[in-house]
Amino acid sequence: MKKTPITAIVVLAALALLPLAVRDNYFLHLLILFLMWVVIGSSWNIFAGYTGQVSFGHAAFFGTGAYTAGMFVQHAGISAWWGMAFGGLAAMLLGLPFGAICFPLRGAYFALASLALNLILMHLATIAERFTGGMQGIMIMPTFVSKVPYYYIALGMAAVTVVAIQVIVRSKWGYYFVSIREDQDAAESLGINTNAYKNVSLGVSTFFTGTAGALYMNYMGFIDPHVVFSLHDYSVMAILVAIVGGVGTIYGPAVGAFIMVGLQELFRSGFFGLFKYLGDRTGSEAFTQAMEVVQHAHVLVFGILVVAVILFLPNGIVGDWGKIRKGVSRPKSAA
Amino acid sequence: MAIFLQTLVAGLLKGGLYALIGIGMTLIMGVMGIINLAHGQMMMLAMYITFVLSSMGVDPYFSLLVAMPALFLLGVLIQKYLLNPLIKVETILPENQVLMTVGIGMVLTELARFVFKSDYKYVTTSYSSSTFFLGGISFNVPLTIAFVIALVFTAAMFGFLIKTDLGRSIRATAQDKDAATLMGINTARITAVTMGLGAALVAAAGCLLAPVYYIFPDIGGPFTAKAFVITILGGLGSTVGAILGGITLGMAESLGATYLGMEYEDVVGLAIFVAVLLFLPGGFKRLTKI
Amino acid sequence: MKGFGKGLFAVAAIALALVPCGGAQAAENVKVGIVLPLTGPQAKFGEIEKRSFEMAAEEINAAGGVKGSRLELLFEDDTGKPDVGRAAVEKLISRDKVPVLTGGYSSAVTQAATAVAQQFKVPFLVTTGSADEITEKGYDHVFRINPTSSEYFDPFESLIQKVGGIKTMALLYENTQFGQSSAKDVEGAAKRAGIDVTVKEGYQAGAIDFKPILSKVKAKNPDIIYMISYVMDAALLMSQSKELDINPKMFAGGGAGFTLPEFQQKAGAAAEYVFSATLWTEDVPYKGAKEYFDKFRKKYNAETEYHGAEAYGSMYVVADALKRAKSFASKDIRDALAATDMSTAFGPVKFISYGKKTQQNKLPNTFVVQWQKGKMETVWPEKAAKKKFIFPTPAWKDRK
Repeated sequence: MKKTPITAIVVLAALALLPLAVRDNYFLHLLILFLMWVVIGSSWNIFAGYTGQVSFGHAAFFGTGAYTAGMFVQHAGISAWWGMAFGGLAAMLLGLPFGAICFPLRGAYFALASLALNLILMHLATIAERFTGGMQGIMIMPTFVSKVPYYYIALGMAAVTVVAIQVIVRSKWGYYFVSIREDQDAAESLGINTNAYKNVSLGVSTFFTGTAGALYMNYMGFIDPHVVFSLHDYSVMAILVAIVGGVGTIYGPAVGAFIMVGLQELFRSGFFGLFKYLGDRTGSEAFTQAMEVVQHAHVLVFGILVVAVILFLPNGIVGDWGKIRKGVSRPKSAA
Repeated sequence: MAIFLQTLVAGLLKGGLYALIGIGMTLIMGVMGIINLAHGQMMMLAMYITFVLSSMGVDPYFSLLVAMPALFLLGVLIQKYLLNPLIKVETILPENQVLMTVGIGMVLTELARFVFKSDYKYVTTSYSSSTFFLGGISFNVPLTIAFVIALVFTAAMFGFLIKTDLGRSIRATAQDKDAATLMGINTARITAVTMGLGAALVAAAGCLLAPVYYIFPDIGGPFTAKAFVITILGGLGSTVGAILGGITLGMAESLGATYLGMEYEDVVGLAIFVAVLLFLPGGFKRLTKI
Repeated sequence: MKGFGKGLFAVAAIALALVPCGGAQAAENVKVGIVLPLTGPQAKFGEIEKRSFEMAAEEINAAGGVKGSRLELLFEDDTGKPDVGRAAVEKLISRDKVPVLTGGYSSAVTQAATAVAQQFKVPFLVTTGSADEITEKGYDHVFRINPTSSEYFDPFESLIQKVGGIKTMALLYENTQFGQSSAKDVEGAAKRAGIDVTVKEGYQAGAIDFKPILSKVKAKNPDIIYMISYVMDAALLMSQSKELDINPKMFAGGGAGFTLPEFQQKAGAAAEYVFSATLWTEDVPYKGAKEYFDKFRKKYNAETEYHGAEAYGSMYVVADALKRAKSFASKDIRDALAATDMSTAFGPVKFISYGKKTQQNKLPNTFVVQWQKGKMETVWPEKAAKKKFIFPTPAWKDRK
């Protein structure tokens, strides 16, 4: 498929018009999170899914972007929006030396090094109280009361990221990335400067992730080391988003982001209060109890889902879409 | 001087425990090449088993006899039904296995939380704070026992890998899986056994840690991190490397805590980790050759 | 075909968004939104607070409710994370349309949650979040019932003066928001009292081995060792101090860690004689305190502690404000809260401004407890003390 799928354009248009129809802040918040994850997941994907450099510490770049924006306010009194411009750059400035030092490492070792980077930054942010506020974090008042401006910024970022990645992937660079992923030594021996392209991929990836971090700072108004450098909530989540959606595909991370954000909130809120609603309406105890179980165990259910997806849809929803269709249509054809 | 010696001793004893955690992971990484990010969670399970048994009056040291086989079995099952199937599937990234362990870790943590809630549980024994003094330096009894047991297990593992058929099959699979298969080794079974062994060893660490620490569902994460620092330090698949790595990490943390400040404790470990990754790839194994 | 799937999901999302949520509402209910960690590592306290809120609401409703309307509590789980807390507050405000909010356990979550409340002009009564900054932003919709982390050390100032002979201090604190900000304040207070802080070290919570840092402390031989720790670190600090045979004149704790029963259970004999700052015990001289404690124990077969008391008190404050408010609109509730002047089981509540803080309740005093014979006794201030404090602390070797 060489053209942008028409459905992607339709979805984009729908998302652009959404705030006109839906005023619910809670819902907009979820969408903003979803869009942010589209950015993070796609950036991780370009680096790992396409170039084969699996990073287990992408939160390092996310957090760097967030702290850049936050520290601009804290120390220079400048609006955090400038931080958005520089958040991506700061993340790149972190990423490139990291790449220079750690690219000689392969596979699992590189993954561990990125994990170490993540943890090191988290500890440093905690210890360097004078710069980062330590565990007290950075708190700023968001510029806009309404969510709509943030929504459009996030939507813009998501669209730019996906389009940029699409352009890169379909260009010669994309081929080089994949060749590095498939067999770095063979690529090198064919004259491809693998180091240069790995750096390009890393630069792109860290730039978008860092900018997402800066957006987070502006939008949420509060960050601390354990939140934005969280291994579990950002690094691992980025990987899951890409894997569930489909690594090495352009729209995979977007689908993955939708599912992951949606599912997490679905379970946390007891199916968006549906259970409570049914429980109140029907007066049935069973619904309330089911809701309590789901809410208490929401992370457990989530974890089980992750295991199931990896087991049965290892190439993600987009990657294994053919498999899903076959699974769904099989019962019909058996008739 | 007293501070320095006390610090060294504290680090040494802690290091023994770390080594036990590390041996399991280095075995798994050496043989299957996957990073088991559920390693700490397996230890957590063993600690909860110890807790339950302790509430029935069983001493943590006896819990070793229950927790180790139980975790062995769990490891085998996980490998057989959740990880081995992934090897056969053609995926873009080989890291699916690692992610599966992440998912398993999540599930184990949340199961523990579901059953035991997030409260801190602890095992109190009469000897938890027992100490003996050697020249003014305090030695914590349970940690010293753990240290000795760690040495014993390392030696046993070492002997097992060198002398027994099963051990040799494991090393063969670690060296070259395809060649091993061609030689008639059932590599699927070997990987399952290895995972089981790794789990059993970290279970032992959990039982030994229980009297001096406490138990909660999220305890796994930091220990997994320490495990892979030790694995990289010691070199994949090297049991001797694991014990050296564990002790090195323990002492480095303690020295860092004393002389840099306790908040730097974890950073020290991570810094060593990165240094080894970059400057001594292959870890101590390169130096010790086993 | 991949895009189709995406489109399908988008449609499903839009459909879900339009599903009406919320149960059957009687017009006579007034809703109160409460944000607490109901799952995750802090769930234990979240549960104590939830139960306390519920108990108080039941009592209030049984006594006729507020102006004839029943209190309806809507709990949202912040899972201990600020971004989830923020989303939870937004849900309460925009979907459930609560006119007033309370709760807030962890400082990080409370900061994020109150910022949202302020943005949307919904009054928020903070129950537990203790970082000073929460009421230092000049947010006119944020009120706080509990003392801030910098105030935990206050009762020690007078106690130390009373016992005399304390010239040096070792200050150990966990690297969390609470720990770091408390440590700063304790250091300042110590200097004012003429105490030399010879060791000040933060540590990563969850450490196995405190021997390195404790050996340093031992070498400096301070008069008082002040620890700002959570329960298990506290237990380990004490048992390892015993192992190293460290003997200051006073061991003191400045966090919730030293007052929980688990501390004493885990540390055993090592917990004896340890002092701790606390905001509330069942012996405090406020009306309803002991009754609350006993009722809670009877109803839930578990012990409550100061977090529960904060929640219980908060519910009564909210109800009182609702009764006085001109209407159940957020603005009127906010004004009513600002005029609060009442006593609760947690203590007297009146929101004032002092220092950099606004709309902060200032308890007349907080308390010092000491573990004696395995029981936690209130020992200071004297007028609230049930038992006399034991000072100086006997050396480990001299204890039976």
